[in-house]
Amino acid sequence: MSFLIIQSLVNGVILGLLYLLMAIGFTLVFGIMRVVNFAHGEFYMLGAFAAYFAFAVAGLPYPVAVAGAFGGAIVLGAIIERVVFRPFRGDELSGMIASIGLALILQNLALIAFGPDPLSMPSLVSGAYNWGGIILPKSRVVVILGSMVILAIFYYFLMHTRTGRALRALVQDREIAAAYGVRVELMYPLGLALGAALAAMAGAFMAPLFGVSPFVGGTPLLKAFIVVILGGLGSIPGAVIASMLLGLIESTTSTFFGASTADIVVFALVIAVLLVRPSGLLGHKEA
Amino acid sequence: MEKSTAQTGVTQASFWTVGRGAFALALLAAALFPVISGSTFHFHIAIMICLAIIATMGLGVIARVGQLSLCHGAFVGVGAYTSMLMVMRLDLPFMAGVVAAVVVTSLVAALIGGPLLRLRGVYFVLITFALNELFRLVMLEFPGLSGGSSGIANIPAASFGSLVLDEKATFYPLALISAVLVVALVALVDRSMIGRRFSAVEENITLAESTGIATARTQNLAFIIGSGIAGFAGALMAHYIGFLSPETFHFELSVSYIIMLVVGGRLALWGPVVGALILTPLPEFLRGAMEFQHVFYGVALIVILSFLPNGLVSLPERLARLGGRK
Repeated sequence: MSFLIIQSLVNGVILGLLYLLMAIGFTLVFGIMRVVNFAHGEFYMLGAFAAYFAFAVAGLPYPVAVAGAFGGAIVLGAIIERVVFRPFRGDELSGMIASIGLALILQNLALIAFGPDPLSMPSLVSGAYNWGGIILPKSRVVVILGSMVILAIFYYFLMHTRTGRALRALVQDREIAAAYGVRVELMYPLGLALGAALAAMAGAFMAPLFGVSPFVGGTPLLKAFIVVILGGLGSIPGAVIASMLLGLIESTTSTFFGASTADIVVFALVIAVLLVRPSGLLGHKEA
Repeated sequence: MEKSTAQTGVTQASFWTVGRGAFALALLAAALFPVISGSTFHFHIAIMICLAIIATMGLGVIARVGQLSLCHGAFVGVGAYTSMLMVMRLDLPFMAGVVAAVVVTSLVAALIGGPLLRLRGVYFVLITFALNELFRLVMLEFPGLSGGSSGIANIPAASFGSLVLDEKATFYPLALISAVLVVALVALVDRSMIGRRFSAVEENITLAESTGIATARTQNLAFIIGSGIAGFAGALMAHYIGFLSPETFHFELSVSYIIMLVVGGRLALWGPVVGALILTPLPEFLRGAMEFQHVFYGVALIVILSFLPNGLVSLPERLARLGGRK
């Protein structure tokens, strides 16, 4: 029994890290652009395809595949901000509806280009660590280390670079940030590009574990959604706490009660939190 | 300056009367089209359009108080399951199933409306999204109620006494009359005191509150009416299609109602009619290329949001204004 608990705690932390990678981009885009981006999962999907073609088809090294997903998403994100989201600045609801349109477009273009069948990607490494009964596949360790490196780089960027500070200032108060010389015009495309890139790298990492298809973005989007509702839209510390919480709740409930019960528990929790604290655990109070 | 505005006013008015007449004629022609062609396929599309009009009308009522519900499909589901259970488990007649569907969905909306509608804007969208998922998951967990993932088949057709509407051509009049009744009901609400309160809340909720309108009660009322209408659409759907599964009421169904509403016109009476009329037949005609249809939906949604934020119903007015400016 105690083995089960420890094993599910370990799995919970792994899940939490994955969710964090998705949720940070999602919450960053909301914080900067005030857009609830329903197309976030589609960036994950495109990242997974990019990694598949670079690694499994073209035979490039895996880090190159991840870097490719990153670069492609940066460019695509900046273009999409200009074409799709710019007309709706200041209108949260319209921006969100537009993102639903964008998700339909991206998912179905991928369907036309790559077909509906899931593609499987070769695993990076095989085998598993076994610490006195607690089993950890090596492929997951790669994913954990990779996510942690990306999160660390991102943390440094956000905390210690000029641009990172400007982005944070914008999230806190756009008018004051603008008054202090933050170039809002440049921050919007940068925000969406970064959010897209984080999702795409998550996709590139997850591709060997969960496979690649036009529909793989749905679940990560749902998880990012849950994390930011729990943690508070736009709050990065909230996203950190909520991803870990969600990962742990999911893995422990599904270990002891089954996966579908875990889903119901999570959704009931989300609704309860929203009703008590509409802006999430650490979210800013909305007017 | 004043003269020119007056003149444009005249052009606009005549354009409007002509536009409205043409619109009414086009609607009538569309409604009679399957009867004239006699094709079962056309009857099917026409019925699906009527059902979509009803459900989207309900979503429009909720939009009238400034809220966008992402669990509208789930309310259609609640109505569908309620009517199915009444008719199949309790052996009640079809009409009782429909009435029960409307009553139960309205009650559910009334129960959850209070706490739910304290949330505004994107937060309301987020919680309704979560509720839609929860509905689907709970339905999958209780196969005794919903048939689980394999669904429930052979739901009895709509019937009034010995009159059984088990063919597309016989069900169509019921669907059409229902759609017309729902549009009429929403028109009545729009013109009543309640309708004026709705638009006051939609335009500026703080201002509405300060002028003494009970905004919470007003939003609740819109949510109850809109969800009740969704339940009605669900009941008709259950007895027309004859098959229900939790996956039918996936969040994509809610999204499709939102697309129809936005494309047609978010706040206009005829918005849902135009949206459903244009978007429902598309999948049928583009069967070979479903993906392109969805790409088209997405593009249409973004283009209409950017250039016609009040939807296609505002197109004649827009054109008239452009013409007047010339």
